Amino acid sequence: MHDTLVAFAKWLEGTPWGLMTRESIWAYPFVQLIHFTGLSIWLGTNFALDLRLLGVGSRRATAAQLAQELFAWNWIGFAIVLTGGFMLFSGIATAFIGNIAFQWKLGMFVPLALTWHVVVQRKARVWGQTSDTPGIARFAALTEILLWICVITAAVDIPNH
Amino acid sequence: MWEALEQTGWVKTLGSTGWMYSTVSVTHYLTMFWFIGSVAVVDLRVMGLVARRRGVGELAEQLFPWAWIGFTFAVISGFLMFATDAGDWAPSKVFHVKLTLIVVSALFAFIVQRGSRKWALDPEIPRAAKIIALLSLLLWVATILSASEIPALEGLG
Repeated sequence: MHDTLVAFAKWLEGTPWGLMTRESIWAYPFVQLIHFTGLSIWLGTNFALDLRLLGVGSRRATAAQLAQELFAWNWIGFAIVLTGGFMLFSGIATAFIGNIAFQWKLGMFVPLALTWHVVVQRKARVWGQTSDTPGIARFAALTEILLWICVITAAVDIPNH
Repeated sequence: MWEALEQTGWVKTLGSTGWMYSTVSVTHYLTMFWFIGSVAVVDLRVMGLVARRRGVGELAEQLFPWAWIGFTFAVISGFLMFATDAGDWAPSKVFHVKLTLIVVSALFAFIVQRGSRKWALDPEIPRAAKIIALLSLLLWVATILSASEIPALEGLG
């Protein structure tokens, strides 16, 4: 399993996009721009729904309506995050897979937060029918925010290892 | 002056204490994404590309109050990160570009927020409004790019 991962990481570093991200000094900021632009759209739309589920802020739209209205751009944002993230990873893939903070980020927090988000987004159609949301919805929304904070914390910690 | 800020007791503590500096960084990234994402959604709504059934005014009312709270935290955490290495950051040309872009982009976000109340009353969103929203969106993209260029061009951060 580990050998396959290392082989895959080495292959990625040799791909044109891996080489470009690593070696071209003008390309790296643009690749980071892709990742960060996607993250803004992704987290902005995630938190908009979470806050509505928490019942704080404007209540003119229900959580069910917001979940539906923001659905498309939420996942467009995710696709952009993934594109930029994949390119950043390809640049120094072998270093990333050996980095403990990156392992926590991609191996634990991202799958957890992503799965949790999918559940929250689906359940919002039921929980968010009425203006007041049930306790479970508020708990789930707060947990999602905390999970994304864990993801960012692990990401910020990557250069320290 | 900036060197003096960098040498202040609490700034030195912040810069040399791992968990403190990490907390400030996490706050900066989190609130920055939150703010830009919220503004971007309203910009896209004004352009007619998202949540077309939801009024522009309603969406702005939903997102902007939180966006500005996020912006406030992003500015405070950003200043703290700047303070720990103020002597090096202050003369950076690209950093000046970034700060200028933040001010202009925030101004555009404010114009979109104010305008959305008015545009919500029109049967169709005016073309000028769509252009302002597009500029607001592009300005944030440029702001993120300028931030990413600082380490690439000047080796800071």
